[in-house]
Amino acid sequence: MTTTDRPLAQWLRLLWGTAPALHLDSAAPFIASGGIHLPAQPHWQQHCAAAAHAAAHLVYSPAGFDGTALVPVARGLLALLEDARVEALAMRELPGLARLWRPLHTATPDDGNACEPLMQRLARALADPFYDDPHPWVAKGRRLFYLDEGLALLALRTPAELRDAALRLGHDIGQMRLPFNAKGYRPAPAYRDDHRWMWAADQLALVQPPPQPQPVAASAEAQARPEPDVPTPDEAGTVTRHPEWDRLIHRLRPDWARVIEPTLLPAAAAAVPAIDLRTLGLSRRLLAPLRALCRQSGARRRSPQADHFDLDALVAWRVAPPPQRSGDARVYWAPQRQACRTAVWLLIDQSASTADRLGPAGRSALQVAALAAAATARALQAMGVVCAVVAFSSNGRQAVRLRWLKGLADPVDAGLDARLQTLRSGGSTRLGAALRHATLRLGAVRADARWVLLLSDGQPHDVDVHDARYLVDDARQAVAEAARRAVRIACLRLAPAASTGGGVARRIFGARGVQPLDNLDALPQAVARLLA
Amino acid sequence: MGDLSSPGMAEPLNAWRLATEPFYQPTGDEITLFEAASARRLPLLLKGPTGCGKTRFIEHMAWRLRRPLVTVACHDELSAADLVGRWLLDAAGTRWQDGPLTQAARHGGICYLDELVEARADTTVVIHPLTDFRRMLPLAACNELVRAHPDFQLVVSYNPSPMAPELKPATRQRFCALQFGYPKPEQEARIVAREAGLDIARAAAIVAFGVRTRRLQGQGLDDGASTRMLVHAAVLVAQGLAIAAACRMAVVDALSDEPGVHQALRAALDASF
Repeated sequence: MTTTDRPLAQWLRLLWGTAPALHLDSAAPFIASGGIHLPAQPHWQQHCAAAAHAAAHLVYSPAGFDGTALVPVARGLLALLEDARVEALAMRELPGLARLWRPLHTATPDDGNACEPLMQRLARALADPFYDDPHPWVAKGRRLFYLDEGLALLALRTPAELRDAALRLGHDIGQMRLPFNAKGYRPAPAYRDDHRWMWAADQLALVQPPPQPQPVAASAEAQARPEPDVPTPDEAGTVTRHPEWDRLIHRLRPDWARVIEPTLLPAAAAAVPAIDLRTLGLSRRLLAPLRALCRQSGARRRSPQADHFDLDALVAWRVAPPPQRSGDARVYWAPQRQACRTAVWLLIDQSASTADRLGPAGRSALQVAALAAAATARALQAMGVVCAVVAFSSNGRQAVRLRWLKGLADPVDAGLDARLQTLRSGGSTRLGAALRHATLRLGAVRADARWVLLLSDGQPHDVDVHDARYLVDDARQAVAEAARRAVRIACLRLAPAASTGGGVARRIFGARGVQPLDNLDALPQAVARLLA
Repeated sequence: MGDLSSPGMAEPLNAWRLATEPFYQPTGDEITLFEAASARRLPLLLKGPTGCGKTRFIEHMAWRLRRPLVTVACHDELSAADLVGRWLLDAAGTRWQDGPLTQAARHGGICYLDELVEARADTTVVIHPLTDFRRMLPLAACNELVRAHPDFQLVVSYNPSPMAPELKPATRQRFCALQFGYPKPEQEARIVAREAGLDIARAAAIVAFGVRTRRLQGQGLDDGASTRMLVHAAVLVAQGLAIAAACRMAVVDALSDEPGVHQALRAALDASF
């Protein structure tokens, strides 16, 4: 499913409580393995018509029909009658669907009396009570299908009854000597599926779902690695150059690191995962600790009504002569409370080292980071705080790549979950460049408070740097520069509980700017300590 | 238990008494359960989605038990003093003013804290001494210890939606709980028809659409349409609007601002009527 058909999936859930897999991968609609395949049509109404028809089959039709001993025309007619039956049931439950389907039936007597036009006219006569067709075969089909003149009571309710009616109508087609082109036949109108789900033999040619993206093997990446110090010419996206702190010369090297930012969000994965209820619970537990992001300095102000007297104001008011006493009765003090607009970047380190597991049988650091980011983004959205989710990795100073998973203005939805699931560990951690870029972008956002929450093992490293302290000092410098620009940076250090290396992170972020995290359950406490 | 009808002790709370019976359609044994808890003055937690009838239920029970109902809508700016009371100034100097919780505890009434979870944690803890065997309220600001009136009862409500903050265990475990949900569709249709003065057939159609919106809970919506929303739609229909227009105004356009969800809701509305 892509983000464009999410409203369609939600619509089907609203109508029938069903959530079939939707695939926009076919020239014509069909049903296979309980999933609905649709053309990638931009027109919402046609999309809805096709999806609702297919979903009506999934809701009202049996799992399959017995097609043995049925000639092709009888099969076509049985399918036509089943189409009409499920639509009649759907329209009885949801009358508005008639406005969706009926206008798409356009067959008229002018189309002629060949077999296919007659079948299309019958389909219209069964779907639309206001359509009158003069052909006796069409009228017979309608009489077989409905019990009453008002076309409200269905006569054909079981597969056997449908089969019997199809055989009778098919026999009439034979009597009229009308040829039926079984190979070229396509149910009409075009919103209807091709009925392959009905016949067991036809289900052999199922469309296989696209393969899941595979993790990039470290060795393969190493082979594809370009020369680190040479800019790669064909990078798609915006390129921004940032300075880098060289600890030996004790100054910033201008335009040293090259950050590549894709212009568009990467496409969502084929299958959108269900919302992890664990993430939802986590989000709720994160609400209280994250409120600290919106906290402003608690200045006091005088107030005419609050909890505590301002003793100076009270004394002044009491000793004032009566004429002035009614003037300023703001004798209480109240903490200054103002709505604080906060913007947050959740920055995920996806370097190769995040593939390490945080426990003997636990998740990898990247998986924990992805779930933590999903939960935090949901909580921030619930609080009305704008947040971006961005992953980064590097391959030398010329290729610090960002991957946008959610823009500041995008909603937190299943698309974010899907994009987070496609993250794979690889590359290195040129932390200073990523932090400078986040600082730059956040600086352009109108907000009262700006935060970068980094999910990382807190160990800068890159393939073109051999001095262990070089990138550490650069990242430390980037944190200090951010503070000068009123962007606060905090790090959740994803590492096993017993690991060493916390000293490096503390050197970069300060003792209060980093908290260890080795399992998701501890996330709210870690965030609370980090933002305290 | 004191004489509930005597004007002496309960007089200060007369304004909080309900004059007429609020309509409430029971969906189970909640009235029996409430009466049992109320007889022993146990604190009660009413849990359930928004607009499912929690507040109406407590109003109905207060009327039924002939007790004043002091209601406080909790929010994140609510301070402990807003509940307990504060010093005020008047011509003679300073004067202590009881807050709603103190009033109910002092004079004997049901204090109903609506959506308690929205209040700050430091506010929530003031109810703790009232909810255990002590049944007392220390007023540190005026150096008084208020012993709760025998008729005092504390009831709080809470909507445990996925994105709502959690109630702290130290607070949660002081309460017995009554779980509320949306009534069955036939029952809900009767409620909607009765509340809006609409015929049962149109009320049932509105409820059927409302039930559909609840399928999107956790799939784009935090909560589906509440019974309260459906009553609003029915009221608009009784006012002369077409059902689809009323549902669009009272349900679809009110439920979500997210464009994709809104598009799906609009299409479902089109399909329903």
